[in-house]
Amino acid sequence: MVTPGAAMLEIRDLVVSYHGSRVLSDVNLRLEYGDSMAIIGESGAGKTTLGLAIMGFSEGTTSGQICWQGRDLLRLPEEDMRSLRGKVVAMVFQNVEDALNPVLNIHDQVKEAMTVHRNGPGHAASARAFGLLEAVGLDHERAKSFPHQLSGGERQRALIAMALANDPDILILDEPTASLDSVTKGDVIEILRAAASDKISLVITHDISTAASLSKKMAVLYAGTIVEMGRTEDLLKNPRHPYTRGLIRSYPNMTTTKDLQGIPGRMDREADGCPFHRRCTQRTDICSRLPPSMQETNGRLIACHRGGIVPLLKLRGITKSFGQREVLSNVSLTVLEGETLAVVGESGCGKTTLARITIGLCDPDRGDVLFEDETLRVRGLEFYRKVQMIYQNPAESLSHRMSVLDLVREPLDVQRLGGRQEREASVRKALDDVELPSDDRFLARYPHQLSGGEAQRVAIARAMVLQPKLLIADEPTSALDASIQAKILRLLQNLQEKRGLSMLFITHDLALARKVSDRIAVLHRGMLVEEGPASQVVSSPAHPYTRCLLEQAARLDATIGSPGVESSAGRGAAAQDRDRWIGAAAVNR
Amino acid sequence: MSAKRSVRGSLANYLLALIAIFSLNFVLPRMMPGDPLQAIYGQEALVAMTPQMEAALIQKFSLDQPWSSQLYAYISGLFEGDLGYSYYFRDQVSAVILGALPWTLILTGSALILATSLGIVLGMESGYRRGGSLDRGLIAGLIFISGFPDFFVGIVLLLIFGVSLGIAPLYGSITPYSGETGLAYLLDILHHLALPLASLVLVQLGAVYLLTRNTMVVVLKERFVLTARAKGCTDRAVRYRHAGRNSLLPVITATGIRLPQLITGALFIEIVFSYPGVGLLLSTALDARDYPLIQGILLLVTVAVLTANCGVDLLYRRLDPRVRHAR
Ligand code: SF4
Repeated sequence: MVTPGAAMLEIRDLVVSYHGSRVLSDVNLRLEYGDSMAIIGESGAGKTTLGLAIMGFSEGTTSGQICWQGRDLLRLPEEDMRSLRGKVVAMVFQNVEDALNPVLNIHDQVKEAMTVHRNGPGHAASARAFGLLEAVGLDHERAKSFPHQLSGGERQRALIAMALANDPDILILDEPTASLDSVTKGDVIEILRAAASDKISLVITHDISTAASLSKKMAVLYAGTIVEMGRTEDLLKNPRHPYTRGLIRSYPNMTTTKDLQGIPGRMDREADGCPFHRRCTQRTDICSRLPPSMQETNGRLIACHRGGIVPLLKLRGITKSFGQREVLSNVSLTVLEGETLAVVGESGCGKTTLARITIGLCDPDRGDVLFEDETLRVRGLEFYRKVQMIYQNPAESLSHRMSVLDLVREPLDVQRLGGRQEREASVRKALDDVELPSDDRFLARYPHQLSGGEAQRVAIARAMVLQPKLLIADEPTSALDASIQAKILRLLQNLQEKRGLSMLFITHDLALARKVSDRIAVLHRGMLVEEGPASQVVSSPAHPYTRCLLEQAARLDATIGSPGVESSAGRGAAAQDRDRWIGAAAVNR
Repeated sequence: MSAKRSVRGSLANYLLALIAIFSLNFVLPRMMPGDPLQAIYGQEALVAMTPQMEAALIQKFSLDQPWSSQLYAYISGLFEGDLGYSYYFRDQVSAVILGALPWTLILTGSALILATSLGIVLGMESGYRRGGSLDRGLIAGLIFISGFPDFFVGIVLLLIFGVSLGIAPLYGSITPYSGETGLAYLLDILHHLALPLASLVLVQLGAVYLLTRNTMVVVLKERFVLTARAKGCTDRAVRYRHAGRNSLLPVITATGIRLPQLITGALFIEIVFSYPGVGLLLSTALDARDYPLIQGILLLVTVAVLTANCGVDLLYRRLDPRVRHAR
């Protein structure tokens, strides 16, 4: 055998295009013996094209190199490439109906994989074919069957046996678990894992769970470009490219707990600049002009002008005392662009104070608040255009003397944005966004004419009318009954999906936090005791206090809808403070 | 189990069809108005008949007996290979037909084999090189030729090679009275066979070729072709073992359907080339209104078509496991 490292598959600047449009652009990969890499992405991202290119099946025009033992597979004469196929580089195809020849039995088809390479005498190949089929769980009788007599799972096993026939060095798995039931899928993954351990394996799939269980490294392909690459576990736990995060968020599995979210928009191959820029919520000018280059940080490769998902809000060492009592001690948190961070803790843990400090309602004794990498000292109009807050009780943040129109328009008036008509149009748009009627009759209503859910929606519309980047939501649903609570949460997630809104979600309810957040921070007596991805915090809490909260949450789940017991300073103060944080200018009114 | 049952089922179907044909042959003349003997033998034969012969015939067919005895006489006659007496040739119909049959078998049999195998090979190669010059040339040429009726192609070939160039005989299946034996005899047969065979093959070829080619083009897009290439199969193996074998299936079915057409084609060709087969015999019998002979030939042709179809069915079963092991 070849010593590890001596042989490796290296793909350099691979470009494949059909009829002038690029299906793959500048793909670079290096794989050594024992490496297993997953290529994930939506359908149409170019995953299969990559697999076929390595097999020498590219139909379009190609440039770049696919190097194997000093030979460029792309430039190899067809006859030489043929002698490598199935012998050195083999592919396990998806078990589609016609993946196997319908008129030959599967034993003969597996055997053929050996006889075409004159791999020993015929009877030896025959015996080995039976052995291989046996190893993937197909007995003698099944082996003599024709494809139409087998189930999807059995066909998949046969395809695996065929790919393993010559003990290839490179194994490409193309959607190896698609259309299999979960038990069969588990079996097939086990077989593949065992088979791939001493080879170079490349798993091409849109199924993240399959990718996760079959690979050590992972590359995310978007519109023919690799946008992120790193160790599978890290990448899934902590996606750094906006697209990767979106992909993982939209995939249903057992380890993410947040409700599914999609990525708005569609894939666009022809886009200039960063291929993802039309769908990206943190794009800047340069994104549409220049394609980003691949940068490596801590073993993670990311192609993004902004180095991946940017931190929007940073709290550094926040400490605050009221009199003798220290409410917050040395709390540091980061909210990334487009994510939801839930701050969870029981009443009096300091979470509301944290929200108030962030928005500027009170100042910390020590520590800094950074927004978009700038330390905030005075918060001006600019800041309040980007950061808004909604409260637990909408009645307290909505003045009962103002109509819906006035309430939602007020932030625009304060910010002096647009003319009268534009403002009104923005108001209607904001009401549409929160799924409220935007007709004149509704606009003329007063808060006391609204239901609790409607009032909270108006409050959200009021916060969203400025199209902020960060929304601080302080127990936004705990005053509402369960069904309206669910709707409001859904609404907030929709807004996040559409706008890439970041959220700082303050709640006492861990069950709720689990559903809406990407990450959870647990506060206990003013100290940050635990922080991590929502799924991890919920499934394997590290701190005893978190475990205690979890038990409570389980009980609370049963009686959901009981109003929160928050007795923070924010509640009473909210109404008075309202005008202050809408804008500094308001203070002078 | 079930596979065997379905084989038996289709054999039973063929048997039923056969019985139906024989029954019709029995019932029809007897249902015609007037004298059944006249219906069976025709006006002219009757005129030429002596009263003794007539009496003998009535006795033979049990025409004076009830239907059941007539049926018995008919069936036992069939089993003895008795198809009646040909007045024109003054011989047993079965003997007359047997004399012509070998020539027809040689002609249609070799035409069938040649047209089918050539059509399949050309179709596979052409489909594999879809859009290439071979493909385009073959499509144009074969569609052009197969547009003409068989006898027309026969006449053209006869005029060119027989009359103008003089390199092929103008009629017959052997050179009369040459008394050749062995290899020379065989070559003489082939020499006479060449033109009629060529015209039949040329016309039949187009359909087989086109069907194979088009099937091949479709099959080549199926996933198992990629699977085959991915395991390193050579071009040849992909073309014949994988794509080719799967393209064969519809061609085999179509062959069964094409048989009657081939036989009518042969009939005309035999007339054009005065080739002494069953076709020429039929034309003579029609001219002479030799009804027993006509009936005998038609019976033979139907039985031949049915048998051939049955054979095609069995072949298909061998080639397609999905039919063989129907779930
Ligand atoms: S920030 Fe720019 S470069 Fe980065 S993913 Fe978004 S659009 Fe692409």
